[in-house]
Amino acid sequence: MTLAERTDVEPGVAPSTHPARRRGSRTARPWLLLAPALLVMGGLLLYPLFRVLVLSLQDFGLRELVSGRTHWVGLGNYAELLGSADLWTTVLPNTVVFAVVAVALTVVFGTIVALLLARLTPVVRGVVTTAIMVAWAMPAVTGTYVWVFAFAPGDGVAVQALDALGLVDAATADPFAGRLSFYAVAALNVVHHGFPFVALTVLAGLLTIPRELTEASIVDGAGPWRRFRSLTFPMLRPVFAVVTVLSTIWDFKVFTQIYLMPGGDGVNRGVLTLGTWSYVESFAQNRYGLGAAIAVLLTALLLVVTVAYLRLLFREEEL
Amino acid sequence: MWSMPGSRTARRGGVRRSAVAVAAVAALGLAGCGQGDDAGAGADRTLTVWIMEGTNPDAQPFFSELSTAFRQRTGAMLDVQFVQWASAHDKFVTAIAGGTTPDVAEIGTTWVGEFGDAGALVDLTPRVQEAGLSDGLVDGLVEAGTLGGSLYGMPWYAGVRSIVYRTDVFTELGLQPPTTWDELVAVGQRIKEARPDLLPLPIAGDNEFVVYPFVWGAGGQLATQNGDTWTSGIDSPQARAGIRFYADLALEHGFSTPAAATWRETDVRDSFTKGQSAMIFAGSWTPKAILEAAPDLQGKIGACPIPGPTGGLAPSVLGGSLLSIFNTSEDQDLAWQLVQMMGTGEFAAKWAQESSYFPGTTALLNEAAQSPDPLVAPFARQMVDSGRSVPVTPAFGQIQGKKTIAAMMHSILTGEATVEQATSTAAAEMNEIFASGA
Repeated sequence: MTLAERTDVEPGVAPSTHPARRRGSRTARPWLLLAPALLVMGGLLLYPLFRVLVLSLQDFGLRELVSGRTHWVGLGNYAELLGSADLWTTVLPNTVVFAVVAVALTVVFGTIVALLLARLTPVVRGVVTTAIMVAWAMPAVTGTYVWVFAFAPGDGVAVQALDALGLVDAATADPFAGRLSFYAVAALNVVHHGFPFVALTVLAGLLTIPRELTEASIVDGAGPWRRFRSLTFPMLRPVFAVVTVLSTIWDFKVFTQIYLMPGGDGVNRGVLTLGTWSYVESFAQNRYGLGAAIAVLLTALLLVVTVAYLRLLFREEEL
Repeated sequence: MWSMPGSRTARRGGVRRSAVAVAAVAALGLAGCGQGDDAGAGADRTLTVWIMEGTNPDAQPFFSELSTAFRQRTGAMLDVQFVQWASAHDKFVTAIAGGTTPDVAEIGTTWVGEFGDAGALVDLTPRVQEAGLSDGLVDGLVEAGTLGGSLYGMPWYAGVRSIVYRTDVFTELGLQPPTTWDELVAVGQRIKEARPDLLPLPIAGDNEFVVYPFVWGAGGQLATQNGDTWTSGIDSPQARAGIRFYADLALEHGFSTPAAATWRETDVRDSFTKGQSAMIFAGSWTPKAILEAAPDLQGKIGACPIPGPTGGLAPSVLGGSLLSIFNTSEDQDLAWQLVQMMGTGEFAAKWAQESSYFPGTTALLNEAAQSPDPLVAPFARQMVDSGRSVPVTPAFGQIQGKKTIAAMMHSILTGEATVEQATSTAAAEMNEIFASGA
């Protein structure tokens, strides 16, 4: 939302790059002011990150935990991970496809809801916003159980409804058995849980677009789609960047929503994602070194994805 | 959650003067000094005890009684803390890592070997021998708690899985509880024909503990030990025959529903309490819960052991808990006194009775086996005659963590793989874990 406000700032003219401020005595000041925050972040973020990196080079199990011995294996954990056939044939494809689909659906649906909200009167908007906030506020565990309940084979509400429409046979259909249907339910859950954030963030952006611009474009004869493409989207690009990057990070490492679905905890090997796979391979087996290696790889992967996204959305100089 | 002061004190040992003194000392940061010699007066010692929540639905009265009795006997206090089963493993592991383990804890059968192997538990073998208990403990539990000749826990209670069925359906159709595998199929077929509204016998994909009786019943092994190395036996011809029979109850005979491929044990139980199933594989602790959930089934349920292929009983997994002492405990003699008090005699019998599990000593178990209760006796028979432990090696804990057997059953029940393919995959996965764990 802070980025939304930034849209009226001329891009590329960040105050800190002003040449007049480049004098030696002044360069220390920002760092001094940042020091407390950096210290806290260093302690709370960088040190654990460093520990994870160190741990990923060890064979670390319960035995090592109790005895305090360390058993270095170099890049052994990484070799084991990258050499795993499951990773390339199921886990990674599942994760990537699911994340792409879920992010696309979340952002598109969230944007549509935001455009709808922007047209409402403030009172009605308040009511609708409150309603969708409930979906966002619902803990992932609760939400997942509700969806699982709705799709429970046999007597789930959704299964019964599909049966009434003649699409499936409620007596034999199991939405959690097939890979596609499993992920359809998971995507429904994840999108339902994720779209309110997108909707509210985009709405905040929409409200900052000066009315004159919209009116001018209408006078120029632009239809709704054209207005969105040529006016709204370019103006809200930073907002879309934020919601897309955040949604990607969330959907890439989705765990709860998959793990709690029937078969999602490793029983149905066809539906493992990076999140559940790493849990099953490392923590469920007390192999913390391997788990750390997975965490490092996932972080690296997400960094790459994030940077790629940002480059795609902004011109170089805007970054 | 554990606060920092708690972790400091517990690392130095669980025997405390008093909670207030401990908190004060830790708060001052005087972790290395400050507390006097604890060994003296027993009056102000406290043992921390972790108990799994939910085994005994109402455990408070039991533990207040135990605390009183223990104080009378030793002068020491008990600090009993309840831990959820679901989060217990993580909690133990973090406690081991942070040195905040309790003095005494109830530990599930499949975890004792793992924690013992890691060096977190006290070897109780000499104490058990000294107390003359060696011959009086339930075999399956001793087996589960023994690793490399050391017993890391005192058997406390156990349960076993058998068959729970609807007596009203059996009476209506003139059926007798099955005593062989052929009879099991015949009974199921009769129910399927006469009562199409019922699932004769749902087969859950995610319940490894019912696969094992059929593997063992057919003469197979889960894994065999040869010296220090373990080898999976899940792809042996016998094991495959057992698994095929079990899977065919669903696939060939249609006693189950396709949805059950992802069911857990609780889903099976739900289908029974909802009146949708005629027979289920269920634990000895379930009849009570079933009747609580579905009071209208009162008088309509019975139990029978899982039969062997041509008679006798199929071995069934004996699951339960042992009482272990953690290495960090400073007064292990005192801790052992508590373990003995809980694991034998009056309190052991009382706990078993209240929790509807079976006690861990043979004397008490044999007493329970005499029970005329039709919902207790068949389970007792299965447990006394054919209770068996899963392979006791930390690697098997890893295999369970990876859900190897459940994944195997899931792929068979959904038709993704044949019994041959699925068992080969599972065996390869098991052998890989055995090899890396050694």
